[in-house]
Amino acid sequence: MSGVISHEFEYIKPKDIVELTELLSQYKTKARILSGGTDLIVRIKDGFEFPDLLIDIKGINELKELKFDKETLFIGACITFNELIDSNIVKDNYPLLWEAAKSVASTAIRNRATLVGNICSAVPSLDSGPALLIYEAEVILKSKDGERIVNINEFFTGPRKTVLKEDEFVYGVKVPHPKKKNGGAYVKLGRYNGEDLAQVGIGVLVLDGNEYRVAHCAVGPVSARARKIENLLNGKKLNDSLFEEAKKLIEEEISPITDIRATKEYRMHMAKVMFERALKTAVDRMNGKGPNYGERLI
Amino acid sequence: MIRKISIILNGEKRSVYVEPNDLLLDVLRDKLGDKTPKYGCGRGDCGTCTVLVNGKSVRSCLILAVEVDGQEVTTLEGISKNGLTELQKYFIKHSSFQCGFCAPGMIVALDEFLKKNPKPSEEEVKEAISGNLCRCTGYVPIIRAVMDYVKNRGG
Amino acid sequence: MEELKFVGKEIPRIDEKEKITGAAKYVDDIDFGPNLLYAEIVESPYPHALIKKIDTSEAEKVEGVVKVVTGKDFPYKFGLYMKDRYIFPQDRVRFVGEQVAAVVARDPKIAQKAAKLVKVEYEPLPAVFDPLEAVKEGAPIIHPELGQYSHVPWFFPKGGSNIAHHRKVRRGDVEKGFREADYVFEDTYKIPRYAHCCMETHISVAYYDLSGRLTLWNSSQSPHVQKSLIADALSPLGISEKDVRVITPYVGGGFGGKAGVTMEVIAAALAIACKGHPVKVRWRRDQEFYNTYMRQQVISKIKVGVKKDGTITAFQIENFWDAGPYVEYGANVVNASGLSATGPYRIPNIKIDSYCIYTNLPAAGPYRGFGYSEMLFSVESHMTRVAKAIGMDPVEFRKKNAIREGDPLAYGAPMNPNGLLEAIDKVAKEIEWGKKEEPKDPNKAIGKGFAIFWKAPAMPPNVSTTAFLKFSGDGSVNILVSGMEIGQGYHVAMAQIAAEILTIPVEKIRVELPDTDRNPYHWQTVASHVTWASGNAVKRAALEARDKIFDVIARAYYFNKDSLYLENGKVKCKTKPDFELDLKDFVINGIMKEDGYYVGQNIVASGQFFVEFASALQDPETSQGGHPNVHYTVGAAAVKIEVDKQTGKIKVLKAVEAIDCGKAINPLNVKDQMIGGLLQGLATALYEDMRFDKNGKILNPNFTDYKIPTALDIPEEVVPIIVEVAQPDGPYGARGMAEHPMIPAAPMIANAVEDAVGVRIKALPITAEKIALALAKGEKEPDYYWHIMK
Repeated sequence: MSGVISHEFEYIKPKDIVELTELLSQYKTKARILSGGTDLIVRIKDGFEFPDLLIDIKGINELKELKFDKETLFIGACITFNELIDSNIVKDNYPLLWEAAKSVASTAIRNRATLVGNICSAVPSLDSGPALLIYEAEVILKSKDGERIVNINEFFTGPRKTVLKEDEFVYGVKVPHPKKKNGGAYVKLGRYNGEDLAQVGIGVLVLDGNEYRVAHCAVGPVSARARKIENLLNGKKLNDSLFEEAKKLIEEEISPITDIRATKEYRMHMAKVMFERALKTAVDRMNGKGPNYGERLI
Repeated sequence: MIRKISIILNGEKRSVYVEPNDLLLDVLRDKLGDKTPKYGCGRGDCGTCTVLVNGKSVRSCLILAVEVDGQEVTTLEGISKNGLTELQKYFIKHSSFQCGFCAPGMIVALDEFLKKNPKPSEEEVKEAISGNLCRCTGYVPIIRAVMDYVKNRGG
Repeated sequence: MEELKFVGKEIPRIDEKEKITGAAKYVDDIDFGPNLLYAEIVESPYPHALIKKIDTSEAEKVEGVVKVVTGKDFPYKFGLYMKDRYIFPQDRVRFVGEQVAAVVARDPKIAQKAAKLVKVEYEPLPAVFDPLEAVKEGAPIIHPELGQYSHVPWFFPKGGSNIAHHRKVRRGDVEKGFREADYVFEDTYKIPRYAHCCMETHISVAYYDLSGRLTLWNSSQSPHVQKSLIADALSPLGISEKDVRVITPYVGGGFGGKAGVTMEVIAAALAIACKGHPVKVRWRRDQEFYNTYMRQQVISKIKVGVKKDGTITAFQIENFWDAGPYVEYGANVVNASGLSATGPYRIPNIKIDSYCIYTNLPAAGPYRGFGYSEMLFSVESHMTRVAKAIGMDPVEFRKKNAIREGDPLAYGAPMNPNGLLEAIDKVAKEIEWGKKEEPKDPNKAIGKGFAIFWKAPAMPPNVSTTAFLKFSGDGSVNILVSGMEIGQGYHVAMAQIAAEILTIPVEKIRVELPDTDRNPYHWQTVASHVTWASGNAVKRAALEARDKIFDVIARAYYFNKDSLYLENGKVKCKTKPDFELDLKDFVINGIMKEDGYYVGQNIVASGQFFVEFASALQDPETSQGGHPNVHYTVGAAAVKIEVDKQTGKIKVLKAVEAIDCGKAINPLNVKDQMIGGLLQGLATALYEDMRFDKNGKILNPNFTDYKIPTALDIPEEVVPIIVEVAQPDGPYGARGMAEHPMIPAAPMIANAVEDAVGVRIKALPITAEKIALALAKGEKEPDYYWHIMK
């Protein structure tokens, strides 16, 4: 279990994309990509992964890029959560993503764990999920045969399952800038104030002109947008009865389970509470008020 | 397959033979003789294995030794090697650590944090060490020493 | 009374520098050379099963494997208070994770791989996990031979059942007491298992050298007891205590979990199987959860009768303890807490039944508080409800019924001097008891909760400890003791006591970690008795050293010994004011007289403390008589919390605790114990939530899902208060207090939650989830207990 790793594997650190895709086409599912390792190494220790080869992508420079050209933010595969948090570009232009990054684990994990690694793990509770879904991010997949783009809303297919083919890797994520004035909030339910995996995660972005985007994680097999709630609210100015109607729709949007972390009743209850607080806070923040990004709402 | 790696451990170039599945924590302790990072949980949850890689705090129990080939690793031994740091003197003054097992990871985390944020608030200090579990102290004596140090440091 | 110069001062810890530089060595930091072997344990997947066959042949073939060991290689029993456990189970396994075999190899990876090749055939047996189920007719019997087990004379096992011990206390006439009462209140409380979560896991390196001498390096609170228990367990092999040496370097936390013997005996056995090689057994974090000692689960049924004016007339409690399948230590938790299950109250009519029950959950045993944290959750939750039900303030109720010096305890002996009322008053004042506070946010509610507590050291009646003290030529001192510095500040406290007598600064004193070959006997570092007992021994050793010092001076200078005194490390004479001689000048070298001959002796001393005033001889039916507990330490605590009514989350705004420690040898360390212990207690109320599946397997043996507090989870304000009502037989009046800080935490949170939002949680933990769901459903007394998941 969590002592030494007795499973044997090879380790290669390719110097460029060509080498990487060549290895992937050769080894396919027998290889695993290693960037931060904060998920993969635990899984190897616990006996859930037994790769023949680990491909360390931290030597490929183009994967370490974090760049913004006012239209799009490019997050390379090796960008860590702390790098996102330390970036004023992310904080100023994608505050919902910034707030989600801040909620992840603790600093020594965030110095290694990558956003791309987070989405590739595809755990239902991934903190980067709601923000990326709301910003309509695009995932750039590459293989020996070329490149394809998949919208993040199509990327997750089930718990720990994505559309990645066996010889593909995620090169990076492109996040379009919302352009309009906006305010957001990512609210994460944990069992205490310290680091925790989300038992419920709710992300909300409110944009100028009564546009609403809502997404959740940890309350269904995949992190997803709450389209029914969005359809209800879009184009409308918020009032109390609309709030109540939207909260009721939560019951149709999510399918929480009971596990050792929380019961489904509490998750359902909290999803509503968190949605309400997130939406109110997002509106406040859009209007220049409300608590600073990063402050706890629950 | 065994390979030779070199790391700059606490300022000194060290070469060692490792297998791909050797963890950095185990290589530091068992092959390079630095016992300060500890095994506490093996899953990155407790922080007792915290070291700096290229100046950034990381969980050495979740890193393969091969990953840090050619890179800089700093442990508590490195931080302490030129005598007590100012912060360490405040820990003595405040009897900050009790069983002491969390101390190496805690002090390494604080080393990174205080370099980045020399005049933090108490809340920021708590957030910075929130990844280092301590079962004995309730954290108060540790925070007490850090805030006393921050208050009295020049500049 | 002269002012003390060292005792009572906030002197920095003398072991702090080692710990903050990384110099402090724990067992895993010691190098044992290229001959070191590593062990991997093969564990039972069943909670209860017969072991039909173990096939080790494939594992033995793996290159690098030195030995594979199973139960048949070591059919020997061990146990502190009862011998109910084999080193490796013989015919059956009794909990998921129990060690069935061990692979010893040259490399830990080889051991891990080979362990997977050991094939074990089991025949599953019905298992039982609920203590109430385990005592019913027809429940699977976990120890069919219980009636034949040897045990200490104050245990009463019921052979043929799962009741390993039944402590019965009967005083007065409880039925009459209930008839006399104006009101009678009865309820049931559920307290689940918890884990110590020391940051350092259990570890043992054992080495049986080619001459047959066994040395162990253990992370332990009990080197001498480990030596004697392991020697006893292995005595069929011809091993006696002289052949066993236990060395205990710094310990990364104990909290009771590293008392007694658990996995260390496995290392000892493996070392014998691999003679001439040190064998390391280091527990992973998950094993630390399920194969050491857990804190016991208890279902507590309590009934209290009171008069209108608040006087308690009758107290009845039945505590059904789930102690796991091996209770060699845990049965004493049931025993000790049973004797004190009334809490610190004066009650004339008492009926206590404390049952130690075998189940097929992991082995459970000592944990800081030794049963008092567990059972006082029930008592202190209940007392607040009783008070409220009769319209009386909960603090006034406690003051009215608080036990006083001289009052009879549940077993008849008198209560020692104590500052309980002072503690209650100081805490009530600090928390502003009675003042209702309103939060600014309408979604929130503020509540306050109060609890009083006590605990006596739970020890055999013949506990003892010795200290050696020796000088070096520079006047510095080494104190050799076998109490353990587990983080409580033991070393500096002993140094302070010695410094006070010898008038040398604490910086000139070292306290040496135990090596049972060199350091004299100390029972165990448990029970909050070490400052008291070992402090007495150290004080006596210092006094003996001082006496020898004066002896030498008197002989050399023809002074009257009575006229001599020490000041600042120098010997001085009342009748000769200009005489002074620094200790370093003669403690090794002696004094040269005018004729060139010397007078002297190496100043080396010892001090003893042997408890000769305790007796466990009591009436087995009533527990009357005897003096099983040396003294009680008392205290009071209160908490102010803010509850978010929508999320159920609790923020601890302020926690106050007062403990009567007699005399705080080092007030800073006493206060810091209160802070650390209080947080550990609050964690059992607010965060820690152990879950088992329906087959008795722990589902969260890691920090990902068993949450212990981080720096972000501490109360906004903690106020520790020291009360000092001297303990007559303590060094400078000192009495232990290190377990006590966590005892009141859970009940005072339960009381505060009820005060804030009107919900009474009777089953720990008190999580946000339980509060939110109860509020959402309008349940005042919800019964959420998910310890075993369906």
